[in-house]
Amino acid sequence: MTALNSLAPGKSAIIHSFSDEATACKMMSMGILPGSKVKLIRKAPFGGAIYIKADNQQFAIRNNEAECVVLK
Amino acid sequence: MRSAEIIPSATKTLTIALLGNPNCGKSTVFNQLTGLRQKIGNFPGVTVDKKLGQVNLTNGKVVTLIDLPGTYNLYPTSQDERVVLNILANPADEYYPDAILYIADVTQLEKHFLLFSQVRDLGIPMVLALNMSDAAAEQNIHYDTGAIAKAFNVPTVAISGRSGDNFQQLKTALNQLVTESFTAPKSFYQFSDTEKEISQTIQKKYQLDNPFQALLWAQNSTRLTFLSEAKRGEISQLISDKNFNRLANQVREVMQRFDRFTPMLKKAIQRTETNKISHTEKIDNVVTHRFWGPLIFFALMLVVFQAIYAWSSFPMDMIEAGFASLTEAVNSVMPDAWYTSLLTDGIIAGLGGILIFIPQIAILFLLISILEEVGYMARAVFMFDHLMQRFGMNGRSIVALVSSGACAIPAVMSTRTISNWKERLITILVAPFISCSARIPVYTVLIGFVVPSATIWGVFNQQGLAFMGLYLVSIIAALGSAWVFKKILKTEERSFLLLELPEYRPPVFKNILFTVYEKVKTFVIEAGKVIFVISIILWVLASYGPSNKMELAEKEATTLATQNNLNEAETADLIAGKQIEASYAGHLGKFIEPAIRPLGYDWKIGIALITSFAAREVFIGTMATIYSIGSADDDTGTIRDRMAKEVNPITGKPTYNFATSLSLLVFYIFAMMCMSTLAVVKRETGGWKWPIIQFLFMTGLAYLGAFVVYQIFS
Repeated sequence: MTALNSLAPGKSAIIHSFSDEATACKMMSMGILPGSKVKLIRKAPFGGAIYIKADNQQFAIRNNEAECVVLK
Repeated sequence: MRSAEIIPSATKTLTIALLGNPNCGKSTVFNQLTGLRQKIGNFPGVTVDKKLGQVNLTNGKVVTLIDLPGTYNLYPTSQDERVVLNILANPADEYYPDAILYIADVTQLEKHFLLFSQVRDLGIPMVLALNMSDAAAEQNIHYDTGAIAKAFNVPTVAISGRSGDNFQQLKTALNQLVTESFTAPKSFYQFSDTEKEISQTIQKKYQLDNPFQALLWAQNSTRLTFLSEAKRGEISQLISDKNFNRLANQVREVMQRFDRFTPMLKKAIQRTETNKISHTEKIDNVVTHRFWGPLIFFALMLVVFQAIYAWSSFPMDMIEAGFASLTEAVNSVMPDAWYTSLLTDGIIAGLGGILIFIPQIAILFLLISILEEVGYMARAVFMFDHLMQRFGMNGRSIVALVSSGACAIPAVMSTRTISNWKERLITILVAPFISCSARIPVYTVLIGFVVPSATIWGVFNQQGLAFMGLYLVSIIAALGSAWVFKKILKTEERSFLLLELPEYRPPVFKNILFTVYEKVKTFVIEAGKVIFVISIILWVLASYGPSNKMELAEKEATTLATQNNLNEAETADLIAGKQIEASYAGHLGKFIEPAIRPLGYDWKIGIALITSFAAREVFIGTMATIYSIGSADDDTGTIRDRMAKEVNPITGKPTYNFATSLSLLVFYIFAMMCMSTLAVVKRETGGWKWPIIQFLFMTGLAYLGAFVVYQIFS
């Protein structure tokens, strides 16, 4: 089980679940759901956050939140 | 149940709320529907934009449209989102809508349907507008409006806010909605047994019509500001009695909704999946690049800075010249009396002091709203989030800090888009530290007393380097105090960064112009009031003195002038100098002298400190008046020469020695000497608490800094 923040830039994976309920609620409300395909596009220039693509949409998300996204 | 019976009353117009996710194109639709018939304000108790507008529906019916902040669900994590919840969960709220216009981006319909399905369950009449129909056509997305309307039992119209397509149909649908009777459709969400029990208990106890509204009370009781402490307690008790896990149930609810509407939407939409890399991705490959990204950002910030700093100087000079000639004209036709002075030095000067900021505000918001509109600002937040988090701020804060280098007023106003309250507050509190253009004249006059005008290694002008040092100190002060505030300020809001990076889109110029117009108008009306009142107070302080001391001062000056054979201008300067000494401001200056003596200042500087509370550059004008060279006006050279000659009567040495001048410089870097900024901070934080705290800590730091510097070097 890996988390989203440990995905290498350019790689994709499928979301399995969320390890934190508050993050889950927020991410799911934005359309990022278990089963969604997610791709890590790049890391922020000064670190701390990542640029992801999920279901044809781009999002910026902090590493703290990305840690709660469990991948298949 | 709301129905046709309540409509005929002609006295109250119906309220339609505009709702949707962020980036759904809501404000474009709002502007299309209302045009310039809008009123902007704050929601009570918070500084979240409240936009109201009038819409002419078909057959002359007028309704009020309220633009609610964009949100993803009804479980808020920010101030903006809490506003939406507090209106929709409270049928007694002043803005509780009679009907809802829900805007969904048809190119991302699944995502936009979560909030839609929640709002639908509130049992309020609703029209669904599928926005961005033009973009859908471009992306080869086909959808069946009729099928969506039927599946969700909601009148549905496909529109394009950008081009204004189908707005007539939208108005017809809204008109039907508010004139025909309405029966709420069956709840979309299927409650669990516990949820049913809780919601029924709340419905019965507090007479709520709608079960989902009752569930929202249970889920959000601590965030509902309209509930009394007692009611919140009762609900919390109920939640713990039933062993109800709020978060887990929110997740379950969201999950169930998606599970139910996704297949329904799939049937109504055909999308040809392409693996083509979108233009947004291509742009972002450069714009958010590890190296080029920040570089492009700083190049853009340079343009922003240059624009507010340089481009605004021409219109500002025009405004200044206009007010100067108005003053002159008034002085020439009106008698030399107190009311003329009130009109020119009080009222006209006060108005001029407000209007002078318009060019900077307009230019900054023109540029910022272009960056927001095209979708760039979200990228800046992404790139600088980590860096700014260390100082308790947000990527958007950088724009405010850079703008502060020209003027803190538009900078403070620009923080409204920072949704986290703590990050926004810190940005507002520290932005005025950054040296603005009003400090330059003060620095120019004083720097000569501190650093000689020589070059180092034949290249660097020492005074130029000192100038840079002053800017650097101001930046350090801003970041340092931001760090301190980050440690001190407590917030219950958990800091999230989960930000949509929207597709790049060409800006809608109507939206940009509305934003600029709105910002200028709010500044002139809201902050203008405060600036105006303070201007009048300062005028009274400088023009009046206790008993007949002002007349005595004039007489004394006139006698002195005749003895010394002074010409007319010199006589007037002398009178002005003696009068300001005799005025209340003069007395105040003398009164505070003991307090400022440890900083190396005399009462004359004290007067200038008091009057320059209006704006820092007033320091120069006051100095000119005090030293009776007022007619030299803005010529800093004359003023500096005169100040250089000033001798301390006690020590017999020059007043503006190294220590005093450096101490004054330090004072002006830090001190909150700008009533206009305070007025804007009051408006943007919703009260006097924060501007007063800001004034105290900035001026306190200024005093301390000046004290230390003077004590070391004197």
